[in-house]
Amino acid sequence: MQRLLVGVWLVLSCALARADNIFVQSVEFASNDGEYYLSATFNIGLTPPVENALNKGVPLYFVVEFELIYPRWYTLYFLNKRIAGFEQTYRLNYNALTRQYRLSYGVLQQSFDTLTDALDVLGGIREQRVLTDSRLDEGRAYEAQVRMRLDPTRLPKPLQVYAFGSSMWDVSSSWFRWTVRP
Amino acid sequence: MNRALIRVRKWFMDRSMRYVVAVALILGVAMLYLLSVASTDTSQFATHLPLLLGLGVAIVVILMFLIGFQFALMRRRLKARVFGSKLTLRLVFVFSLVSVVPGVLMYGISVQFLAGSIESWFDVRVDSALEGGLNLGRVNLETGLQELEQKADSMAVHLSDETSVSRVAVLNQLREQAAVHEAALLSPEGTIIAFSGLDTEELMPVVTNPSILRQVRLHRSYRAVEEIGYQQLQLRVAVPVSQPSGETEILQLVQPVSQKLARDAAMVQEAYRDYQELSLSRHGLKRLYTLALTLSLGVALLSVLLLAIMFSKRLSAPLGFLAAGTRAVAQGDFSQRQPVHRHDELGVLTESFNTMTRQLSDAQTAAQRHQEALSAAKAYLESVLANLSAGVLSFDEHFRLRATNLSAENILGAKLTPLIGTSMQHWQDNAPKLVSIGAVARTRFADQDEATWEQQIEVETQTGKQVLLLRGSRLLEGDEKGYVIVFDDVTNLLQAQRYAAWGEVARRLAHEIKNPLTPIQLSAERMQRRLSDKLDVADSDVLSRSTQTIVNQVSALKGMVNAFSEYARSPDPDLAPVDLNGLVLDVLDLYEAMKPRLSVELADGLPAISGDSAKLRQVLHNLLQNAEQAVAISSQPQIIVSTSATENGAMLSVRDNGPGFPEQMMTRVFEPYVTSKSRGTGLGLAIVKKIVEENNGTVRISNPEAGGALVEVCLIGAASGTLDEQPLAMNH
Repeated sequence: MQRLLVGVWLVLSCALARADNIFVQSVEFASNDGEYYLSATFNIGLTPPVENALNKGVPLYFVVEFELIYPRWYTLYFLNKRIAGFEQTYRLNYNALTRQYRLSYGVLQQSFDTLTDALDVLGGIREQRVLTDSRLDEGRAYEAQVRMRLDPTRLPKPLQVYAFGSSMWDVSSSWFRWTVRP
Repeated sequence: MNRALIRVRKWFMDRSMRYVVAVALILGVAMLYLLSVASTDTSQFATHLPLLLGLGVAIVVILMFLIGFQFALMRRRLKARVFGSKLTLRLVFVFSLVSVVPGVLMYGISVQFLAGSIESWFDVRVDSALEGGLNLGRVNLETGLQELEQKADSMAVHLSDETSVSRVAVLNQLREQAAVHEAALLSPEGTIIAFSGLDTEELMPVVTNPSILRQVRLHRSYRAVEEIGYQQLQLRVAVPVSQPSGETEILQLVQPVSQKLARDAAMVQEAYRDYQELSLSRHGLKRLYTLALTLSLGVALLSVLLLAIMFSKRLSAPLGFLAAGTRAVAQGDFSQRQPVHRHDELGVLTESFNTMTRQLSDAQTAAQRHQEALSAAKAYLESVLANLSAGVLSFDEHFRLRATNLSAENILGAKLTPLIGTSMQHWQDNAPKLVSIGAVARTRFADQDEATWEQQIEVETQTGKQVLLLRGSRLLEGDEKGYVIVFDDVTNLLQAQRYAAWGEVARRLAHEIKNPLTPIQLSAERMQRRLSDKLDVADSDVLSRSTQTIVNQVSALKGMVNAFSEYARSPDPDLAPVDLNGLVLDVLDLYEAMKPRLSVELADGLPAISGDSAKLRQVLHNLLQNAEQAVAISSQPQIIVSTSATENGAMLSVRDNGPGFPEQMMTRVFEPYVTSKSRGTGLGLAIVKKIVEENNGTVRISNPEAGGALVEVCLIGAASGTLDEQPLAMNH
C-alpha cells in the first residue's frame, strides 16, 4: 500500500478577509492505487442564533464540497473546467426528549451528549474517496478546493427569510485551495 | 416629411409604451401570484423566494421609471400648454386619490392584522404546555431508566456472586425475572460473555459504544434513551459487574419503550420543535409577509397610477383633437376631420364637430361661388357701362358722386374717378361741366313727382358750346337711394341736323332763286338791245348802266346761289396722303400780292396727312381770305401761316393781327351765315369746318393774348387710323 502525500498540512491563520465561522484546520489529499482520498479537519464554530435554533430542535444541514479544476489561463475562474466534484451533506439535530445531538450521514447515525462532541465528529472527514486516477493526466497541474458550509436553503422556510442576508446565519468556510500534480 | 417622421415615431412610442406597460403589469401580477404561493407553500418556490423578492423590487423600479417618464411627458405638455393636459392631470389626480387612499388604508390594516395574528400564535401558556409535555416525556423515560438501572444493579449483584456455573442460564433466568427485553454480559474489552434476549430473532446484542465501555469500566454506570428509528425509543443501561478475580465485567440491559409512549413523546417533541421554529422565525415571517404585502401594494398602486395616467390621456385626447380642430377652423381651415373611435359623449362631440366643419366648409364653398358669380356680374356690368357710348353718372341722396363711366369722362373732358364720393362744391376746379349737370339734376330731382326726366343743356367749352342731353331717373331699389343720370353729347347731332336743314334750304332756295335769274338777265339784255337805239343818249346811258347793274347783280346772285348749292352739295371727300407743306406752298403761290404781309413758318419732317387735297386747298383759301379781310384795317398787317407736327398728324395754323373774333360770336362762328363782316356770305368758316370734319380733322379758333385771331386745323396722319385717340375730338 503506497501512500503518496500530495496535500499539505496547514494550520490556517485567521488572516482571512471573511469572518469565517468554519476554519480548515488540516487537509490531507492522498492517492492510493489510483484513487484519491480526502481527509480534512474543520473547526466549526456556530453563531449564537444558529446554536440557539439547533437547541430548539431545528435541524442543520452541513455540506462539504470538493472540486478538482483544470484551470485555463484564458478563462475566468468560474468558467474553468471541473474535472470532478464531490458533495456530502451532514444533518445535525438535537433531540429535546433524549437531550442528545444526533449526527446523520446517509443511513449512518450517531448520538452525542454534548454539542462539542458532535461538532468534532462532524468536522472530521476521514479518507473520503473523491475521484479516481484515470481521469487525470500525468504531469499536469490541477487545482483542488474544499469547503464546508451550512446550507441555508434547507432551513425551515420562515427561518430562511429570517436568515436571508444575515451574516449571523452565514456559517461557512472559504474555499481552501491547493495544487495537485499527479 | 419631417412631420410624418415625427408622427410615426410618436405612434411607435405610444405603441411600445403600451406594450411596456402591459408587460410590466403582467410581470407584476405574475410576481404577486408567485409571491403568494411561495409565502404560503413550502414547495420549491421557497428556495426562489429571494429571487422573487428581487424581481418584485425590479418591477416596482420599472413601474416607477415608467410613471416618472409619463409624468415628465405630462409636465412637458403642461408647459407647452397643450390643450387637455390640465384635464389629464386632474383625472390622474382623481384616479390616484380614488385608488391610492383605499390601497394604503388596506395596506395599513393588513400590516397591523398580520403583525397581530403572527404574534397571537405565540402564547406563554402554549409555550409552557409544550415544555411541560416534553418534561413529562422526559420524566417518564427517566423513571423507566431508573427502574432498568435498579434491575441491572440487582442483576449485577447476582452475577458477581455467581462464578462458575453457566452464566448464560443465570443471565437468562435473571432477565426473565426482571422482565427485561435484552441482557448481555460483556467482558471489559467488549466481547460478549453471555447474552439473553426475549426476541429470539435477535441473536446478537446491540454493539456497544467503546466510550460506554470505558465509562463503565471506571465503575460509572451508563444509562441513556436511544432513538432506534422513527418514533421508536429504547432504554439502555450498562452497569459494572465486579468479579472476585478483580475483573470488571459489564452488564448491558436494553428495554424498548412502549410504542404508544414513544409515539406520544415524539409527537410532543415535534410539536415543540415546530413551535420553536415558528417562534424563532416570527420576525422573519413578519418581515416576509410585510415585504410581500408592500411589494404587492407597490406593484398594484403603481400599476393603477400608470393605468390612470394612460386612461386619463386617452380620455382627454379627443379634447386636444377638438382644440386643434377649433384652432384650424378659426384660421379658416375647414378641412379638419377627427377620427371617431368611441361611442360616448366625447365621440358624439367629435362627430358633431366633424359635421360642423363639413357644413362650414360647404357654406364657405357656396359663399365663394356666390362671390365669384357676383363679381362676374359686376365685371359684366362695368364692362357694359364702360363700353356704353352714353355717359353715366350716379349720385347718392346727398348728391355725392357715386359712380361714373369712361364715356362720361370723355364727354365731360375731365377725370371723374378722383371725385367719387365728393359733393358738388368740390367739382368746380376739376370738372366745371359736372357742376352744371349737377345743378340741373338737383333742381329736376327736387320735384318729387317726376320719376324720370329729360333735358337738354348747353355747356361752354373752349371750342364752343356743347349740347348734352340728360336723362335722369331715381334709384328706389332697396336701401340705396340715389339718382342716375345718363347723358349724351348731342352737339354733333344737332349740328348735323342744322346743317342738313340749311343744306336743304340752300339747295331749294338756290334752285328757286336760280330759275328766274336767267330770264331776268336775258330780259335786261334784250331791253337794252331793243331800247338803246330808241332812246336818247342820256336815257340810253341810264338804261345801259341799269342793265349793266342788273346783269352784274344777277351774276353776283348767281355766284352766291352757286356757293349755296356748293355748300349744300357736300360730295364725299377723296382721302389720300397729302404733303401739307407742299400744299401750303402751292396755295401761297397764288397770293403774290399778299407777300409783304405774309410770313410762312413750315416745320420740317411733317408726316403725310390723310385728306382730299382739293378741298384742303379750299380750306386754306378761305382762311387766307378771312385773314386778308381782317387785317385790311390794320396799319401793320401781318399774317402768319405755320405748320407743325402733332401727336398723330400735323397742324396747320393761320394767325393774323386783325381785330380778332368778336367775343359774342365765338361760340357760333362755325355756323353758316354768321359773320362779323359787312360783306360776306358767312359761309367761309362753315365750309372750313365742314371740310375739315369730312377729312377727320378738327378746327379750333381763339383770340391769342397778343391780339388778332388764330385758327388751328388739326389733321390726322395718313398712317394712323381713327379719330378716337385724338384728344381734341372729345370736345366736339
